[in-house]
Amino acid sequence: MDFANLASQLNAGAILPEGIVIITLLVVLIADLIVGRAADRWTPYVAIAGLLAAVGALYLGWNRLETVSFLGSFNSDNLSLVFRGIIALATVVTILMSIRYVEQTGSDLGEYLTILLSATLGAMFLSGSEELVMIFISLETLSIASYLMTGYMKRDLRSNEAALKYLLIGAASSAIFLYGSSLLYGLSGGSTSLAGIAAGIANSSQSLGVLISLVFVIAGISFKISAVPFHQWTPDVYEGAPTPVVAFLSVASKAAGFALAVRFMTIAFPSVSDQWQFIFTALAILSMILGNVVAIAQTSMKRMLAYSSIGQAGFVMIGFVIGTESGYASMLFYLLIYLFMNLGAFTCIILFSLRTGTDQISDYAGLYQKDPLLTLALSICLLSLGGIPPLAGFFGKLYLFWAGWQAGAYGLVILGLLTSVVSIYYYIRVVKMMVVKEPQEMSETIKNYPALSWKPFGMRPLQVGLILTLITTSLAGILSNPLFNLVNASVADVPLFEAAVPIRPAAPVSLQVPATPLSAVVPQSAPQAQTLNVNLRS
Amino acid sequence: MNSGIDLQQSVIEILSNLGLPPGVAKLVWLPLPMVLMLVTAVLGVFTGVWLERKISAAAQQRIGPEYIGPLGILAPAADGLKLLFKEDITPGNADAVLFTIGPALVVIPVFLSYLVVPFGQNMLISDLSIGVFLWIALSSIAPIGLLMSGYASNNKYSLLGGLRAAAQSISYEIPLALAVLAVVMMSNSLSTIDIVNQQSGYGILGWNVWRQPVGLLLFWIAALAECERLPFDLPEAEEEIVAGYQTEYSGMKFALFYIGSYVNLVLSALFVAILYFGGWGFPVPLEQVASLLGVSETNAVFQVVMAAIGIVTTLLKAYFFIFLAILLRWTVPRVRIDQLLDLGWKFLLPVGLANLLLTAGLKLTFPFAFGG
Amino acid sequence: MNLAEGVQTISFALLALMMIGAALGVVLLDNIVYSAFLLGGVFISISGLYLLLNADFVSAAQILIYVGAVNVLILFAIMLVNKREDFSPVPRRWIRKGGAALVSVGLFALLGTMVVQTPWVIPANLPATTSTLIILGEHFFSDYLLPFELASVLLLMALVGAVVLARREYVLDDEASVGEMPQLPLQLPERPKEPVALSGTSAPSR
Repeated sequence: MDFANLASQLNAGAILPEGIVIITLLVVLIADLIVGRAADRWTPYVAIAGLLAAVGALYLGWNRLETVSFLGSFNSDNLSLVFRGIIALATVVTILMSIRYVEQTGSDLGEYLTILLSATLGAMFLSGSEELVMIFISLETLSIASYLMTGYMKRDLRSNEAALKYLLIGAASSAIFLYGSSLLYGLSGGSTSLAGIAAGIANSSQSLGVLISLVFVIAGISFKISAVPFHQWTPDVYEGAPTPVVAFLSVASKAAGFALAVRFMTIAFPSVSDQWQFIFTALAILSMILGNVVAIAQTSMKRMLAYSSIGQAGFVMIGFVIGTESGYASMLFYLLIYLFMNLGAFTCIILFSLRTGTDQISDYAGLYQKDPLLTLALSICLLSLGGIPPLAGFFGKLYLFWAGWQAGAYGLVILGLLTSVVSIYYYIRVVKMMVVKEPQEMSETIKNYPALSWKPFGMRPLQVGLILTLITTSLAGILSNPLFNLVNASVADVPLFEAAVPIRPAAPVSLQVPATPLSAVVPQSAPQAQTLNVNLRS
Repeated sequence: MNSGIDLQQSVIEILSNLGLPPGVAKLVWLPLPMVLMLVTAVLGVFTGVWLERKISAAAQQRIGPEYIGPLGILAPAADGLKLLFKEDITPGNADAVLFTIGPALVVIPVFLSYLVVPFGQNMLISDLSIGVFLWIALSSIAPIGLLMSGYASNNKYSLLGGLRAAAQSISYEIPLALAVLAVVMMSNSLSTIDIVNQQSGYGILGWNVWRQPVGLLLFWIAALAECERLPFDLPEAEEEIVAGYQTEYSGMKFALFYIGSYVNLVLSALFVAILYFGGWGFPVPLEQVASLLGVSETNAVFQVVMAAIGIVTTLLKAYFFIFLAILLRWTVPRVRIDQLLDLGWKFLLPVGLANLLLTAGLKLTFPFAFGG
Repeated sequence: MNLAEGVQTISFALLALMMIGAALGVVLLDNIVYSAFLLGGVFISISGLYLLLNADFVSAAQILIYVGAVNVLILFAIMLVNKREDFSPVPRRWIRKGGAALVSVGLFALLGTMVVQTPWVIPANLPATTSTLIILGEHFFSDYLLPFELASVLLLMALVGAVVLARREYVLDDEASVGEMPQLPLQLPERPKEPVALSGTSAPSR
């Protein structure tokens, strides 16, 4: 196997976006090394430019003919492209909101960007890897970078504590995941590729070993997407870690976890699909209930968003467990929208805490009088997270629940609707606190609210991020057609689901929409998605 | 040593001819090379100690050991005997178990490393495919023993010495491994036999020292630090921390440390000879000379002579480097601990990486000269 | 059973005993230093098992990395922390211990059953090889190339992160803690002698 032959087999163009991210990472690191702190003025923009270039490269890679690269380690199919795009965009918005935060806490921006970019890299590789070693290394790249970023504010005791907790629990979950993977390696007779594992365990699918390895692998993945009961780290880490890092973890890390789950389960475990669907159903139910119910009792904004993100992960899992194409598409669609609304909410929290130094919910009282823009943005994002029409989150949830209903997962959908109502309660509580309060009921913090100024370094990017997420959150739902096309195409082009999708009686064959109350309120999205599904079938 | 080809086969044959079943004959053979090597190592220590005392004396214009045997050659044996008869003291409140295991853990890996030291084509205990890597791996166990004895002594000087020793050993292992890696890259094998064979054929001109001068320097500095020789003997710097981790030790346990350090020195010198100075190869390519003179390579006498020359050459090369180490001891002052770590991490490590990169580049450019 | 097989069986039994004993010691002993040293014993036993499996390079690498680096680092951390703290005995500690033991034994029973029950697939044509190293290298540069290269990014990032966590922090004078930092005096014990005023180069005063 000579060099030229090997190089032609590698199909290295498939990882062009990741290559761009690596080069950006090195440029930022070396610039910071040579120029010093003065480089802080422009390295964030270099990083953003690199990530946007990576997104552009992802766009160019759409509908690539030869998707498998590096002899089966990595698969750059359209599904992975969407996930990688979500992750890269999440990092862009995270950088926008980080600049001011990191400067104000007196930490170093260059190293922060380096670690953030490597976390992005790990997450992007995780979205497309189809081989156990690759999965583990990219998972660890993401995890270790996350631990480091969590503890980045090292003079803050809470940050230290959060990092330590995250590290310990994360290491344990990595070990469990690794144990499951090694079992799979043994059970399949020495294969590390997911497809090889599926072939190897096809005959002994119901054996105890396969089930144990399935449970272990799911435990490792559930830690990443913080599904109950693997969520214990989430509130503490979200509360202690620097807020931009939390934003990154809640979107990019979670998206990577879902990408891993889809790929691992559908490729490696088609023979036990009933079992993993059952496990994920249980996880989804627990996550929706616990996340949304406990969030009501929170007084800290970050903790509230932590539990809300657990609940949101539960919603997304509905799309995953039903296992239909529209289910996967709705999951991707929701993640895309969740990216903007959740990051928007975090941008608002960062802005508020930068100006006041607190993130207690009660301190938001009367914010409308002092800072209408912030109030507007936070309200829109929170309402969208709750699923109030006509914001983006509404359509995302609608699509999810519709897909679930079509697939016959009635219980899950009803539970999702109920917990959504619960979530609307705690989101609206914050909005009400900000908007309705009379001047005399303002909190002390708001009374001392500093004059609005976008002049200091790093505030402009924060503003840009705020406006960007605000606009997207408001309009993505109404103008959702391109997004729908995107996610549907990404799911449709992937052959892997054909084998994996279990034959369900309620698969979207029938064009007549079932006379459910849900479909009655669907103005545009559901029929649209249905026609798309019909197109797929034909 | 009656054959250069296959000692094992001939010994087993002889034993079988004496009437032993082949299995038993093999069982009898198994420990022989090990015992031989153990004896060689201990004799090497004695020689090393004697040389150390004589050369130190010469460096300070003294005579050194004189009366115990001719030229004081039995002085190390007397030293050993004295240590053997000393009382074995375990200090109060010390951790007796760890205190005992510590020295053993320091010594055993060093002796194990002799597994891969070759004195001729077939004259080594085991031609492992991981060869020189085994030595690097085994030498990384020693810091555990040092930390153990430092901790168990219940003495802060001991603990400091143990920590220093471990820090030093870890820091210098990396440049050492990098230097070895450059050599390995040229010979395409980790096996010590292959490394020597790759240098043979052109006599002194073929030795790695010409192709790896930087690597040799790196290796030598790092090896001195690994052996805790001056100028890197901080773990036992007597002006600062009494005698480091050895402070509380006496009798045989101390002797283990003592033997261990000299065995390690001899081992390092042997590895310098193997990696950079052609191992058992004579400065003149004897095989070619012999074939010119018309002596057959399968001639038994020739083989025995070659084997003897190989052993003597290896030892001479090694002892030259021991001499150099002793000379350095009386020439160079001790470095400070921060200088030591700075040198290791900020100088040797980058230089080692650059050397590795350069070697790789040269190997691609001149595959003939750099083992393509 | 010939000599080689006998040696292998005995070595396996010894190594397994060593490993289990040392591992139990790591978990059960109260003295953390003993635990750390025994962890080294576990690592060495594992490397012996690798040797029995003909994985000579992996075995040596295991010693170099786990014993020579990881374990020494753990010992360093333990010995450099000079805080002696006597833990007050937790009331009803035996309940927790019993619970942990129960879970562990249950898990062990489950995994043991699984190991015994599972029909392990053993590839028929195992290539007899003398040098595992060359095969390893070929894998690293063909089908495992991507993880191999990604590992270098991972290590670089870990290096940067370790430096960030370990280096001393310069204290900003003019920019007191705003934001989410606790309003405590922001000083490290190892505050440098001349605090560098970073306001000139850093951006906040723009």
